[in-house]
Amino acid sequence: MAVYRRSNRRRSILVLLLLTAVTLITLDTRGNGSGITDSVRDAAQDAIDPAQEAVGDVLDPIDDWFDGVVRSGDLKEENAKLRRDLARALGQASESRASLRENRELKALADLTFAPGLPGVDAQVVAASPGNFEETVGIDKGSNEGITADMPVVAGDGLVGRIADVSGRRATVLMLTDPKSGVGVRLEDSGTLGVADGRQGSDLLSVDVPLEVKVRKGELVFTSGTEPSLYPGGIPVGTVVSVLKPAGALAQSLLVRPLVDIGRSTYVRVLLWPGGGQGG
Amino acid sequence: MIRFMRLALFLVAIVLVQTAVMPYLRVGDVVPELGLVATVAIAYREGPELGAGFGFATGLAIDLFLQTPLGLSALAFSLTGYLVGILQGAMAQTAWWVAPVLGGLGGLIGGLLFVGIGALVGQEQLWALRSLRIVGLSALYDAVVAPLVFPVAAFAARSGGPRTAGASGGPGW
Repeated sequence: MAVYRRSNRRRSILVLLLLTAVTLITLDTRGNGSGITDSVRDAAQDAIDPAQEAVGDVLDPIDDWFDGVVRSGDLKEENAKLRRDLARALGQASESRASLRENRELKALADLTFAPGLPGVDAQVVAASPGNFEETVGIDKGSNEGITADMPVVAGDGLVGRIADVSGRRATVLMLTDPKSGVGVRLEDSGTLGVADGRQGSDLLSVDVPLEVKVRKGELVFTSGTEPSLYPGGIPVGTVVSVLKPAGALAQSLLVRPLVDIGRSTYVRVLLWPGGGQGG
Repeated sequence: MIRFMRLALFLVAIVLVQTAVMPYLRVGDVVPELGLVATVAIAYREGPELGAGFGFATGLAIDLFLQTPLGLSALAFSLTGYLVGILQGAMAQTAWWVAPVLGGLGGLIGGLLFVGIGALVGQEQLWALRSLRIVGLSALYDAVVAPLVFPVAAFAARSGGPRTAGASGGPGW
């Protein structure tokens, strides 16, 4: 009898937890960015911001040093002293390279050749996604700087993505490669329009265009800017790396590599584009 | 009360490490699900009730930092905690391999639940073959970190008095 009561209690707890979770999922999905769940999320993002920045400050130089050691070839046969010296020297060189890279990124942002005249907010990438099923990064600027959801985010080479979530002091950028991302694009040569979609677990985008369109590898892809669009036109998105024409298919599928490798970028610019929030 | 505080601190630590440190430790482009491993560890030690409750709280906290709907991880983690808690009733092992095996198994169950439930509630992008690859790799990573997480979980969940085997669940750690 006692075992039966205990089993009943277990099931009741589980059912209660499941119902609560389903209610939260429903509230969050229906709230669409304006409910109490978003306020809680924003508060949590702001609360963890100092910890993420502190960890980033500590781990970034280690990451650079590790990069330097790994890329310097096989040092295993070297004696211990030489290895230490070399690693130290490489670490210093990596730091210098990192500084140079940051300088280049900032200069590229200052001399953007696309989206002329559009005001923007420069921000530093301070966090990566803690999950496995989304491609996002955290930046250190938020609504206090005028940033709102869906604004486009660029780096010196081209489009990075859009703002997915924003709190007072920070924002989350949904990258182009996230499967939930879709960008209206135009091919450089033919001017053909399409949508560049992110693909789960891949660093390439896919664009479907009609079979009769001639596409060459290496062709550039830009944002189309056609109404309604989250992005102004003419921002470089990526280059075509592969053209797939499955037998019997009605369209050819282009695989596009984004120009910006956000994994190696430190600075981005959020364009204060009024088109944000209107569509895909 | 002290036990509750320890569990709460453990939860906060797990969320901090998952959100601030783990993104730097990606292998094969995946991170381990520390919250899931911690849930499995608690469920293994304490049984389905605390396993489900801890999984719910940890999943909810991690949901705050994801773009998927709030409550999705909470649902997947609490179900995983409950299932592992039920399973541990039939186990009396404290061997070294229990942590990696359960960590990996829990990671697999939790990951599949996350993808399956996510697809059901409108996250169609999760319904892809590549998601299985991510779940598999992440489960392997979970198995690797589990031996580190299990002892901490055992410390956080231990009660003040002498432990009686089978009183609230299964084996100790």
